[in-house]
Amino acid sequence: MLEVHNVEKVYGEAETAVRALQNINFAVKRGEFILIVGSSGSGKSTLLNMIGLLDRPTRGQILVDGADTSTLDDNHLSSFRNSKLGFIFQFSNLLSDLTVLENVLLPRRIQGTLDGATEEARMLLKTVGLESQLKKFANKISGGQAQRVAITRALINKPAIVLADEPTGNLDSISAETTVHLLKSLNRKLNQTFIIVTHDRPQFGDVDKIITIKDGRIVEGELEASMA
Amino acid sequence: MDYRAQIGIRFITRRKGSLIAASLAVAIAILVVQVNSVIFQGLYNAIVRDLTNYRFGHVFISKRGDFITRSDFMLVNWLDRIPYVQAAAPRLDYSALSINSTVNGQLIQDVNVPVPVLGVKPEWDVKASTLYQTVKGQYVSYRDSIVLGALVDRDLGYPQIGDTVKIKFKDQFGNDVLKRFVIVGISQTAGNQGNDNGVIINIDTLREIMDRPGQSSEIIVRLNDPSKADYVSELFLSAFPSSADKFKAQTIEQAAEVQLAGFRSGIALINLVGYFGMMSSAFAVVTIQMMQVSSKTRDIGVMRAIGAKRKDVLLVFIFQGMVIGAIGAGLGTAMGIGYTVYAKETHMTFQGSLALEVQYNWMGIAQTDIMAFVLAIIASIYPAFKATKLEPVEAMRFA
Repeated sequence: MLEVHNVEKVYGEAETAVRALQNINFAVKRGEFILIVGSSGSGKSTLLNMIGLLDRPTRGQILVDGADTSTLDDNHLSSFRNSKLGFIFQFSNLLSDLTVLENVLLPRRIQGTLDGATEEARMLLKTVGLESQLKKFANKISGGQAQRVAITRALINKPAIVLADEPTGNLDSISAETTVHLLKSLNRKLNQTFIIVTHDRPQFGDVDKIITIKDGRIVEGELEASMA
Repeated sequence: MDYRAQIGIRFITRRKGSLIAASLAVAIAILVVQVNSVIFQGLYNAIVRDLTNYRFGHVFISKRGDFITRSDFMLVNWLDRIPYVQAAAPRLDYSALSINSTVNGQLIQDVNVPVPVLGVKPEWDVKASTLYQTVKGQYVSYRDSIVLGALVDRDLGYPQIGDTVKIKFKDQFGNDVLKRFVIVGISQTAGNQGNDNGVIINIDTLREIMDRPGQSSEIIVRLNDPSKADYVSELFLSAFPSSADKFKAQTIEQAAEVQLAGFRSGIALINLVGYFGMMSSAFAVVTIQMMQVSSKTRDIGVMRAIGAKRKDVLLVFIFQGMVIGAIGAGLGTAMGIGYTVYAKETHMTFQGSLALEVQYNWMGIAQTDIMAFVLAIIASIYPAFKATKLEPVEAMRFA
């Protein structure tokens, strides 16, 4: 499903070069729920950006469903992100000028596959308990609700992989718990791969795999399966 | 609706300050062009109108380098038979050596500079020209009557109707001729386009003074359909070929070329200034659009992250430019038309200038609108292009 081979990311050049990621190798199977953990500045978000094709590695390969993403041009990368990947950001990052429903539908509208999309979006929003908020503008809902909308938006295109960067980082404890529960239940229900960057490992309980990053490297022995 | 159009429209319409500022920049640019057009084109039209009404008629017939010796009665009768001709009248131009006024038999002012003298046939002139309407008092009638132009009246110390003036002429043989006239009226026109700096007397009196019996300087022809001026000119010249009579038959634009050419250049220059104003409004749109891109950087990053291509981002801001252009053009047109209607209905003048001759120039308005709309879009290209250059990761870091 997802293979990361010898990925390295260097920012800057020569003496000012910063090696953000080095020798990253791992593979992810369909339907797995994976955590990427590490301290602040360890490179976990950088790694997520590489996997999410938001940034290109300096060296190495990232294969999604067997396709080498390093050969894709910008347009194809955009299409690839749209169809294969779903994103959940720490600050939800909804477009404040669109309503809840319009935000959720945006990936489908970008894809140009609108048949039945509104119904699907309504169903998903009902799943996350936001069926009554469809017409509200994104800046008029609470942080917890916004994060649930962001989750719905990430799922609307039925992506193979859902990537989440600190999805609970900006939420109160109750909202965070609800979000974790929602992500895990969606993972089971939809059989989609979830890769989550977090600094709060215990919050997620049992997961399929944990990748611990330290100083840009996967820490030896920490690529572990934690499912009981 | 296309999602890029929807986002573009939402981006700008939900930021009312930016929308109002950008639209006003476009609208004011249109208004400036419109106001320029109303004032300067209106002034030009007014000058053409007054020159037509007072001096040249719609067709101006003269003889190259000489006086018309053919009978004015015959020429006017011939012209009167053309269906488009409303009236025609002969005129004789001359210059007096000096003029002085006497009130109650006492000399009050002497003007020793040449004074233009216009000889008219009153009964015909009132049909072919509206010069008589500019006269306070009466138009010239009997042989010794005179209408003073307002500036001459001023220079003479403001003699009144009923007072007398003495004019010294030189006849065609170089002899001084002194003639006394009774003032019957004072002619004054806004903008001095009439005969304000000269005097009007009976043409037969002037012919006598100049010793040019039956001769005229010109025949002015008033048409009931001014668009037929070329036709009437050609018809006249075919009946009285230049080879025989050395006649010239000119439309107002040809006859008043000297007076109008400079003004036309002025209008072109003023229009250029208006269009430069439009360019500066385009810069205002660029600035506001750049601010829009800056404030929407995170949204652009999110859109790119979830699959929008660079061209999609470009289109969002182009659509935004179209909204600004459309609202600005609409607003500018409304204000421009409002001003035009006001100027037309009130016969707008500026500090005693002649009343503007305002015409609705729908083609000009449409051209200005389209230009402003297109400029707003062009002005959006650079900010839109900058937006496409944002990388998703960098853009989403933007708070």
